[in-house]
Amino acid sequence: MNSLSQSALFAEVADLRTRLDGAEETLRAIRGGEVDAFVVESAAGPQVYTLQGQDAEASRVRGEMLAQVSDAVIAVDGEMRVFYLNTAAERLYGLAASHGLGQPVSKIYELRWLHPEDEAAAQAALRDHGEWRGENVHVRPDGRELNVESGITVLRDTAGQPSGLLAVIRDVSERKAREEKVLVSEVRYRRLFEAAHDGVLIVDPETRRIVEANPFMTQLLGYPHEQLVGKELYQIGLLRDEAASQEMVKKLKRTSQVRYEDLPLESQGGDHQEVEVVANLYDESGHPVIQCNIRDITERKRTEEHVKMLMAEVNHRAKNLLAVVQAVAVQTAKHGDVATFVSRLSERIGGLAAGQDLLVCNQWQGVEVSDLVTAQLAHFQDLIGTRVLLAGPTARLTPDAAQGIGMALHELATNAAKYGALSNSDGTVRITWQIRAGAEPRFLMSWLEDGGPKVVAPARTGFGQIVIGRMAEASVQGAAEIEYGSDGLSWNLSAPLKNVLT
Amino acid sequence: MDQVPTTRDTQPKACILIVEDEPMLAFALEEFLIDAGFAVLGVAGRIEKALTMIETGGFDAAILDANLAGVSAGPAATALRERGVPFIVVSGYLASQQQSAFKGALCLQKPCPPERLIEALRGILTAQRAGGAIA
Repeated sequence: MNSLSQSALFAEVADLRTRLDGAEETLRAIRGGEVDAFVVESAAGPQVYTLQGQDAEASRVRGEMLAQVSDAVIAVDGEMRVFYLNTAAERLYGLAASHGLGQPVSKIYELRWLHPEDEAAAQAALRDHGEWRGENVHVRPDGRELNVESGITVLRDTAGQPSGLLAVIRDVSERKAREEKVLVSEVRYRRLFEAAHDGVLIVDPETRRIVEANPFMTQLLGYPHEQLVGKELYQIGLLRDEAASQEMVKKLKRTSQVRYEDLPLESQGGDHQEVEVVANLYDESGHPVIQCNIRDITERKRTEEHVKMLMAEVNHRAKNLLAVVQAVAVQTAKHGDVATFVSRLSERIGGLAAGQDLLVCNQWQGVEVSDLVTAQLAHFQDLIGTRVLLAGPTARLTPDAAQGIGMALHELATNAAKYGALSNSDGTVRITWQIRAGAEPRFLMSWLEDGGPKVVAPARTGFGQIVIGRMAEASVQGAAEIEYGSDGLSWNLSAPLKNVLT
Repeated sequence: MDQVPTTRDTQPKACILIVEDEPMLAFALEEFLIDAGFAVLGVAGRIEKALTMIETGGFDAAILDANLAGVSAGPAATALRERGVPFIVVSGYLASQQQSAFKGALCLQKPCPPERLIEALRGILTAQRAGGAIA
């Protein structure tokens, strides 16, 4: 730094000090009400500022007021240099006492417009009307951003020429932050309201009329939004009549919440839906409002009905099965001694249980033939594929056919193990089934034994014969043929396809 | 030992229609009924067949299973009522699960002891005869 610039710098500092002293003196004088007007030297020549009227006492009071107000007050000259600022302004911008005076206003805060078009609008307003009010952002010297509301007035000299500006600035940052929070909350809850899969109605407790309805409500009822608003609840079929509507409001005032289950809701098309309604009485900034949440419970009702039906079905089937067991026991008891009865009955109950398992596994929708055969021949599992051969297409038996054929297979297997092809070491059983196409397609199933001991028709018709004969026939409304050939027993079942397969 | 013939012995056997979809139960029921001295007109396992057989007639009473292959036997009950034929409903449903078509009918729960069924059957036949005599 050379000496010339150093001396220039000293000179500038001295000049600034003088100006500052002058400004402080001016400020003191303004505050003290000692001046009515003052003149500021500027590039455009001397400027005269009239601060007050004729009454010096009034101007002193005014100065005092400016110092005391909580809003920041800043006056700038034509070159935007600050010649007055109150304590509130010093506080707001974080300035040491009187440090702002004489400074360009841009040293006190940096101005940012909220919208680009605001600047032009402000300039136009000041030019045309001498004042502007609005919001913008002031950035303090320490970088903190303030949301402010400003009122700016053009100051005029004695000749009426614009000579500066007076700004009254209020910090609205807190209010802004609160507004922002409310807005976020509003957006969030509005979204919830709009997207809810429950109907929401806001009702005025005084008029009992709907004042707001969410989109799901309009979807539920088929009325457009504008037709819902203004209606009473009974007019959309939510309550029986006007009296019921009045009753609800009365009850709400007493208990703050009312709940209705299973209300029939009538949509515009006349469809009825089962809904559940929960109404709450809230206070909304001093005004009571009723909020009704309407939930479509059609699906839930349907499920409940379905469960009820299933329970009844389970009961019916369980009892039926017990009745079958009872009948089997009585029939089994007709022949043989007690020991035989017990073992035969146990086997038959086992066969019924196996069939039951298959039905339950398939939700009672039917049973694959091969699964049924495998289940009923569980005792001969090791022989399947060697001495017990299965052949047939994929086919699903109805529950009735599965029970009838299952029991027949059980009897055939028991018989084969005792007297037939599975009673020796090399006999075979071929179990086949097929669908014979035609105008009236039929289901054919056969059990053919080979290589077993010679069999003869039994002298009397035992229960086993009844099961593989008329019982199997009845279950499929078909015909069963039993032959006792020299090479083994053969059983053929034939029935209309529609009676057998699902 | 000489016995005075009872009234039942001198009368023709009462003929029963069995409406039951479960072949095993139908068979067992038939056996019970025959053993107990009744005649069995036949077995209907489906509602269509039951309605045809009721239409044709030729029986004195019926035993109805409430559920025929998933279909209610209600229409059969209605048809029997219209013809004034007495009947017993046998079902696995609870009374509260029972369909309205069977209201007022004599309902027995499955599984039902055979003796009770026979007894109930004799009861409704006697009531029918008494009613007929009065009429």
